[in-house]
Amino acid sequence: MSVQPVTDVSSVAGSEVATEPVPPVARRSRVPGFLRRPGGVFGAVWLVFVLAAALTASLWRPYEVDEQDLANRLALPSGTHWLGTDALGRDILSRIFTAGALPLLASALMLVVAFGIGLPLALVAAERGRRVEGVISRVTETLMALPLIILLLAVIGAIGNKLYAVMAILGVLISAAVYRVLLGVAKSVRQRLYVDAARVNGLGSLRVNLLHVLPSMARVAAVQAAQLFGIGLLMVAGLAFLGFGPGEPEPSWGFMIQDASTHIYDAPWLMVPTGLILAITVVAANELADAIAGKGTDEKRRPLRRRRVVASSEAPPADPTAVLEVRDLSVAVDGGPQLVTGVSFSLRAGQVLGLVGESGCGKTMTARSLLGLLPDGVSVSGGSILWRGRELVGMSDPQLNTVRGREIAMISQEPMVALDPMFSIAYQLIQPIRRFRGVGRAEARTIAAELLGQVGIVDAQRVLSSYPHQLSGGMAQRVCIALALTGEPELLVADEPTTALDVTVQAEILILLRSLVRDTGLSVVIVSHDLGVVADICDEVVVMYAGEVAESGTAAAVLDDAAHPYTMALLGANPHVPEGEPVPLRLASIPGTVPPPGSWPTGCRFATRCQFAQEQCTVPFVSLPAHGDGSVRCIRVEELTRHHATWDAEAVGAGAATDATVEPAPTAGALS
Amino acid sequence: MLAYVARRLALAVGTVFAAVLITFLLVHAGQGSPGAVKAGAGATAAEIAQANHELGWDRALWVQFADTIGHLIRLDLGTSLIDGRDLGHDLFTRLPVTGSIALLATLLSGVVGVVLGVTAAVRGGRVGQSINSGAGVALSLPAFWVGILFVYVLSLQLGWLPATGYVPFADDPVGWITSLLIPILTLAVGGAAMIARTAAVGMREALQQEHIRTLRAMGTPTWRIRYVHALRYASVPVVSVLGIQFIALFGGSVIIENLFALPGLGQTSQIAAAGHDFPALISVVVVATAVVVLTNLLLDLVVAALDPKVRTA
Repeated sequence: MSVQPVTDVSSVAGSEVATEPVPPVARRSRVPGFLRRPGGVFGAVWLVFVLAAALTASLWRPYEVDEQDLANRLALPSGTHWLGTDALGRDILSRIFTAGALPLLASALMLVVAFGIGLPLALVAAERGRRVEGVISRVTETLMALPLIILLLAVIGAIGNKLYAVMAILGVLISAAVYRVLLGVAKSVRQRLYVDAARVNGLGSLRVNLLHVLPSMARVAAVQAAQLFGIGLLMVAGLAFLGFGPGEPEPSWGFMIQDASTHIYDAPWLMVPTGLILAITVVAANELADAIAGKGTDEKRRPLRRRRVVASSEAPPADPTAVLEVRDLSVAVDGGPQLVTGVSFSLRAGQVLGLVGESGCGKTMTARSLLGLLPDGVSVSGGSILWRGRELVGMSDPQLNTVRGREIAMISQEPMVALDPMFSIAYQLIQPIRRFRGVGRAEARTIAAELLGQVGIVDAQRVLSSYPHQLSGGMAQRVCIALALTGEPELLVADEPTTALDVTVQAEILILLRSLVRDTGLSVVIVSHDLGVVADICDEVVVMYAGEVAESGTAAAVLDDAAHPYTMALLGANPHVPEGEPVPLRLASIPGTVPPPGSWPTGCRFATRCQFAQEQCTVPFVSLPAHGDGSVRCIRVEELTRHHATWDAEAVGAGAATDATVEPAPTAGALS
Repeated sequence: MLAYVARRLALAVGTVFAAVLITFLLVHAGQGSPGAVKAGAGATAAEIAQANHELGWDRALWVQFADTIGHLIRLDLGTSLIDGRDLGHDLFTRLPVTGSIALLATLLSGVVGVVLGVTAAVRGGRVGQSINSGAGVALSLPAFWVGILFVYVLSLQLGWLPATGYVPFADDPVGWITSLLIPILTLAVGGAAMIARTAAVGMREALQQEHIRTLRAMGTPTWRIRYVHALRYASVPVVSVLGIQFIALFGGSVIIENLFALPGLGQTSQIAAAGHDFPALISVVVVATAVVVLTNLLLDLVVAALDPKVRTA
């Protein structure tokens, strides 16, 4: 009897890229959301219909509820009795719909009582702090631990057969469940800053509740109400079935089913109409709850058959020394916008390549496509990834599994959630070691301890017997690196391996990665938005912007002699100052944000934010060779290099550009 | 940990106490009196008063309450007003009936529900949707109606199982299980639906966890990812709901026992309620609450054992 707000949306892009195209501004509609779902419409219409039919039954029903047609006892449906008759020849149709009022109204009463108690308690507990909440929560926990039906029978035994009173008492008991759910909502709303802000502004507690807390609760409360309503219906029917409903000849669903059960030998039809009507009514309440909760339609979003991309090139790698050769790689949401387009780079054994850019530039998608680990609903839509001469694009999952871990391994952004919380570190290391190296359990454990030593963990035995939640972030990342090393891979894909860590720990992890590269000849593709990291560890750099490569080349060339305005801007915005250079008075900034996929401008995608953008930048063009093997995608690159243009900290105004001949864009927004 | 156990135990005792208090107050708030019940219909006011006096009904409320609690502490549940049977002994023989129905139905729900839920989450698409919708319908069906349906099909049409009645385990183990099979199936329909939904949601959530991606990046075989790692992750919510199911089925068996004429707790609580048999009411509430509270305690221990974060705390 609790409501779990179930989010079932397959997170198409995680947090890295907003893959959803910007939705058109929602039309203002007076129809509540749940009524736009078929289940919700059905639920609402059916409940209203049953209630209306029940309340008006005396006006339209073909027979009185106690009117006996003795010639037609236990009759099947016919023209005179549409749903047949019972053992006394009474019309089932008339009785079913007359009986509908009681369960609906009694359940509604139960809801009113349950929310009338649970809601104020939740508000008070959320507002008054821990002590009050503690007391109320203890009491409600006790209430929730009581056996409901048996207690209700005790109620009936004590106060007699008064259904409304009994359901009201059930409401009191159920208010504990209402309190529990609503307290969670109330607390989370109160933790939001704007509620505090409202308080600071002098809003009284009542108004805070009315203006902020209650509206946020509305949906959760509605879902729970609909669910509890269904439970209430079953409860009323159950009690009536046990003989605690309205006395004969008054009809009730439960007792009609009880009656049907005694005629199962001679008139099995009898149980069909009442059972169906009762079931449909409860289904209606549950459908309504699901529709309010927004479930149902989301679940249809299962992966469409993934487009299998046939590798576009069978040509031998351009650079024979390269182990990894990515050519013209494109990644797209299935049936949606492109996330990455035309990305090319190559990597030689033992080298470190950095993928750099702001959040939402497609770095992570590029890195994850190297292992075939794109999120559900996202896939490689073109291009090729040659790994030691083998085409990875289009490989099946089992084929990729021969590469994953053994040849290419990955460490991720959030070490604290990258390890399985349910298993010990030992289990998580031993299991792949045994698989990759074909050794026994004891030997695998020795190897695991060695690997932990290799990543700089001193007390390997203690760490082995720990669970992930017992490790610090830095420790967890070391374990993740050790895990990645279990298959002795040749390439390590590191997706922002230091972002989630403390600054001092960041440096340690980078030192560790560097020493692994030095000692084992590992190649690394490292994703980062931190140019300091890149300068520290990378041989090659690929600067990405809005799903494409803005500039690439050796780290030294790109960082010292940036050709693309975006790289210049990133460097200008970097707070790390190399030793011996003066600290700038102010950091440069890049106006605006990365345009989301699907709304990239034609021509240069950076043009809308670029200090140097001109009319020519809106025309599509190809990237130009630069920095030896690298490239730069800027049509004005020669001009800018000639004039030694720099990204200026004062990004606005006509006089901003350092050289008068390099004219700034008239207005940044005009280009989009 | 010790403080935690102590707090849980205190809460458990408090819950039983609360159940007794609520029932006691309800009994005294009602219009009836035990004397009227004991003396039977047609008794004169004097006879009723005499009976009430003998039962101690005319004492101060708190004295009576203390008396009730005192007897309960000594595990003395008293005697029935109606037939004078020893309630402690009566409930002791009835508890195994209800307990075994609820336990077996919970186990069956667990097995069927987990299989269906995991299938729904892993297969997805049309299979997942039909399981989800099927579970929604199953949750909406009243158990007593499902029970009649099973009797009609399995007993009347196919003749495989007896329709009603109970055979004690000691008399005939095979007869015992066949006599319980339809009630168990009946309760398991809703139970399995509940577990299936929980398992499906839990598995789907588990499969979206970051650590699953780590496993995939390590080339871990799919079966191991699904049935070792994801299932293990989903086990905590599933076991919690299984415990809640046991409690719900334990209570739900009231109706089922009535339908199938099974001599369990539910049957006696219905009779006690219909006959205003106050001592029987209080004792059945106490026993049922104690079972619920013990189940919750056990559940907490199991969940703690399943979750390394709790276990190592």
